[in-house]
Formats: sequence, C-alpha cells, structure tokens
Amino acid sequence: MIETRKLEKSFQDGDREAKVLKGIDFVAKDGEFIAVIGRSGAGKSTFLYQLSLLDEPTAGEILIDGRSTKDFSQKEGIYFRLREFGYVFQDYALLPDLTACENVSLPLIMQGMGKKEARERALHELGRMNVGHHADNLPAHLSGGEQQRVSIARAIVNRPKILFADEPTANLDRESSETVLNIFQELHESGQTIVMVTHEEEYARYAERIITIDDGKIVSDTRV
Amino acid sequence: MSFLRNIRVGFYLAVRQVRRANLWTNILIIFIMLLTFLNLVLVTGFLVGIVTGISDQYRNQQTGDIILRSLDTKNYIQNSPEVISFLHTLPQIKALTARYVTAGTLEANYLTRVGPNEKPNQTGATIEGINPEAENAFSHLARYVHEGRYLTVGDYDRVLLGPQFIHRYSFGDQPGLTPLDNVYPGTKIRLTINGHTREVTVVGILKVPANSSLAARAFMIASEVRQLLGRSDYSVNQIALLLRPGVDPTTFRNFLERSGLGSVAKIQTFEQAMPSGVADVRNTFGVIGNAIGSIGLTVASITIFIVIFINAVTRRKFIGILKGIGISGEAIEISYIFQAFFYAIIGSGIGLAVLYGFLVPYVSAHPISLPVSDAIIVAPVGGTMIRVFLLALAAVIAGYIPARMIVRKNTLDSILGRA
Repeated sequence: MIETRKLEKSFQDGDREAKVLKGIDFVAKDGEFIAVIGRSGAGKSTFLYQLSLLDEPTAGEILIDGRSTKDFSQKEGIYFRLREFGYVFQDYALLPDLTACENVSLPLIMQGMGKKEARERALHELGRMNVGHHADNLPAHLSGGEQQRVSIARAIVNRPKILFADEPTANLDRESSETVLNIFQELHESGQTIVMVTHEEEYARYAERIITIDDGKIVSDTRV
Repeated sequence: MSFLRNIRVGFYLAVRQVRRANLWTNILIIFIMLLTFLNLVLVTGFLVGIVTGISDQYRNQQTGDIILRSLDTKNYIQNSPEVISFLHTLPQIKALTARYVTAGTLEANYLTRVGPNEKPNQTGATIEGINPEAENAFSHLARYVHEGRYLTVGDYDRVLLGPQFIHRYSFGDQPGLTPLDNVYPGTKIRLTINGHTREVTVVGILKVPANSSLAARAFMIASEVRQLLGRSDYSVNQIALLLRPGVDPTTFRNFLERSGLGSVAKIQTFEQAMPSGVADVRNTFGVIGNAIGSIGLTVASITIFIVIFINAVTRRKFIGILKGIGISGEAIEISYIFQAFFYAIIGSGIGLAVLYGFLVPYVSAHPISLPVSDAIIVAPVGGTMIRVFLLALAAVIAGYIPARMIVRKNTLDSILGRA
C-alpha cells in the first residue's frame, strides 16, 4: 500500500514560488489499477514523480506499507526504485546502446542475478509482451509500440509492487495504445498494482479507479 | 558485495557503450590515446637514445667493455707484451686491440707555402698506432672509411685521418685543431711525433659524427708509431677488450685487478671510462623527456575529460533513466571509468605493438643519423609499463570526474532534460 499525506511540491520560478501540488491525501491499495487524469499542467505527472520516489516532495509525506519515505536513506530510495517499483515513461526511455533484451535484463543484473538467468527472464517477459522476436534488436530498430512494450517488460521484470506509468500511450497510435492498455489490464488482473497518468479519459476507463487532479489538488476520486 | 555488483553493472554498460558507439568516434579516441602513449615513450626514448647513441659509439669505437690504460704515473702500460699474452689466454675475451696513443701534429700544403711569415696549415692531432687487422676486428674501423682505403699491415708512412682534420668534412674549428685544406687520399702531409717529422701519405679519410672519438684521430700502423716514439720495449698506451656475451664487465674488471694487472694499468669498465658529462647529459635528456611527456599526459587527460564530459552530457537523459530504474550512481560512474580505461588500454596496446614490433627494432637496425651521433630509441619495458599505467590512471581520473558531475545531478531533471 502507498499513501500520501498533505503532499506538497513547489518549484522556484525566479523570485516566485510555484506550488504545483497543494496538500494531496491519497491511498493506493495493493492490486489497484488507478488512472490519474487532469488537464495539462494540473500536476498529475508531478504527483506521479513524488509517489514513485523520482523526486522529493516539498512538504507532507509518502508512506509505503506504513513507513514514511522521509526515513529512507539514499540507498533505500534506490532499493525501492530497483526492486519494488517499475516505471513506464511516455517516451519509452529505453537505453539506446542496449538491445531490447539487455534493457530488460539490466535491473535484474543490478539485483545480482547472473547474466544468463537474467536473459532468460527478460526473454520470457518480452515474449509475454509479444516482442520476443525483437530481443536482440536495438531500440532504434523498433516501432514506438514495440518500444513501449519493451519498456513495460523492463518495468515488470523484477515483479514490482507498484507499476508507475506516465502517459504511456501519449506517443502511440490508437492500436498500439490499446495493446499497451490491454497489457496493463492483464497485469492488473494478475494482481499488479498500477498507477497510470493519462490525459485521455477514454484510456483512463481501463483502470478501476480514476483520480482527477486540478490545480494541484485531487478534485474527484471515482471507481469505474 | 554491492561494490562488486556496481563494478559488474558498470562493466556491462561500458562494454556495450564502447562496442555500439560510433566507429569513427572510437577510432579517434583510440588514436589520441595511441599518440599520447607514443609521445610519452618516444620523446624520452629518443632523447635518451641520442645520448645512448653517443655512449654506445664511444664504447664500440674506443673503449670496448673494458679498457686498460697507462697508470697516471706512467706514459705506457708496463710489460705490455706479457699483459697482452695473458689476456689472449682468457676465454671471456672476444677481441682485443692494443694502441700506441700520442699527441702529434699534422701539416699540409707545406710545398705551396710562400714564406716563413705565412701561417702553416698545421693542426694538432691524437695519433694512434694500431694493428689494422686487430683494430678492425675490434671496432670495425674500416667501415667508417669514406674516401680512399683502410690501412693494411704493411702500410709504412701511410696515415688514415678522421674527418675533423679535413676542411671539407670538419665540424668547425676547435682549440688546437685547424682543418687541413686540399687533403685527399694520396696527398702527402707532414706528421710530427716526439720531435720526429716524417712525410706520410694519406690513404683514407673517415666519416663519423662530430661526437665520435674517431673524428679527431689519425691512425698509423703500430710499428711506425712505436719507432717514432722511440719505444723499444713494445709497451702500448691502451688495450681495449670486447667481452663475450654474458660476461659481466665489472666482475671481469675485478678479476683482472686480482690477477695483478692493476699494478701496471688503470683498468676501467666502459661505464667508468665514459666521460662523466655523457651520463649527466643522458639524465638531463631523460628529465626533459619526462617533462615533455607530462605535458602530453595532461593534454590526453583533458582530451579524455572533454570526450567523456560531452558523452555524459549528451547522455544525461539516459543517465537519469538508469538512476530512475534503480541503477546506482556508482555503477554508472564506474561504467564511464571503464570506458576511459578501455580507450587507454587499447591505445597503449596498439602503441606497445608499434613500439616493440616495429619502431625499436627498426631504429636499432637503422639508427637515425644525427650530426652528434647515431640515435636509437631507448624504451626499457619497465619504464614503458610505468607510462602505460600513468596513461591508464590519467584516463580513469579524467573519465571519472565528468561522469560524477553528471551523475550527481537530480534524477528527474536529467530524465526530463531540465537544467
């Protein structure tokens, strides 16, 4: 379970302080598939970055399984990002020098797994994402949809507690977007917790719970 | 454990980044490393090689491995025939030559001199009386004959001259040495030793660098010099020895001392006989070479720094992603250290192959002819490996600093490309 209490995030803009998140209280239970929506600039991506420990909030706190992340050392933050969280980015964020399989293997190798075993696990995940035949291709040789599926494989290969997705369909055509969302739904059905940011309400309906953020605050929280 | 894991991941990333980097970028960086390595090794090696060339020349042409000279209190080596006979019985000696060495004067163009007020075309000279065959076996003196021919055993009233005495080959005026004009093989000149003047014919002229000990010497057959010196007891001034491979000169010198030769001759190894200035010049050139090499090393470090910095800056987003998915900053830094290390080692490896596979053997076989001496490249393996280590160390530091600068930036800022 991940929870936020009075979460705030501000950015310094010259002499002015711009408050992007204004005291968000939020709880995501294990196994939930939550879509975070809102207009551009509402603060939904910033919210996701705080929640996924990619950034530090200005005030308030985040609790993971009841433990405040304020108590985390830098190493623990890295530990969570490596072992407990998975990330899917809008622009896929694959490493261009690594093949699809190497991109997926990397988090496992960082955890100490042998290269051969990591490759087998990576191939398995790529097969699940239906891109196993591109395992030895560099990202530049894959389409956007294929890259995003490789990115999802990398995010879930370490069996994370929570999968964070930031606008995962923003750069994809309709068909690829639906493929990605179907994968998310399958993952959710198998018990994966997912927090997905999207600006398209139609795609948010794939989730079981939709949170709307506006002007740095949660303005609605509905179950589909 | 975590450190080893960071090294493992760093290596994994570095191998793939280098392997999949632009080919021309890789070639350029490795080429810079190669040039830096050669600069580090060759500048010092060549400078030291010039001095080594001078000292080797002195050894090959003059002293051999061991030289026996007359004691400071004597004009010659006492009982020379017995000493030479004894030396001939020693199996450690490969070749020896005995020389009469004396000061004298050479005068040319005396027949065309107009009157007593005209300055004679005359020069001081070191005259050596030699056995032509023994001397040639020892120093290959005949190899240096440029005009005319070498001496033979029966060459009475014949002289072989160093280039310093000949105006057209002379390296410039030196105190007491006035080059002779119009002297060619066949020209008659006057030679004066010990107050005895004799008209002799020039049979040949040598060609050697200015620093050669042969440059300002005149050679005649030993029996004639002995006669001019009035030395009836056959006692010579120098006996130079070439030792067989594997015989240590210092040990052999000590053996000769113990054998009693120390009481009749001053016995010196090549190192002891070498003019002290040569060793100083060699050390000085070594220091200069190291100073120039250090500049090269600094330039290479800056180059690697720039290359890695540009690489890291352009890949900042991917460094952010790596951190985002849980790859530790240390592993990422180590990947850049490995990259710099790979480039340094590959560059040095090619450099070693070029150096020991081609340059050193080629230049040893074909020394570079310089006015002062024939230069070689002195690159002892130990010293070269220290330079490889220095280059690798400089590359690793120069790779680490920019990587650390970029890795330390905020993860999210890196991913989003924010300043």
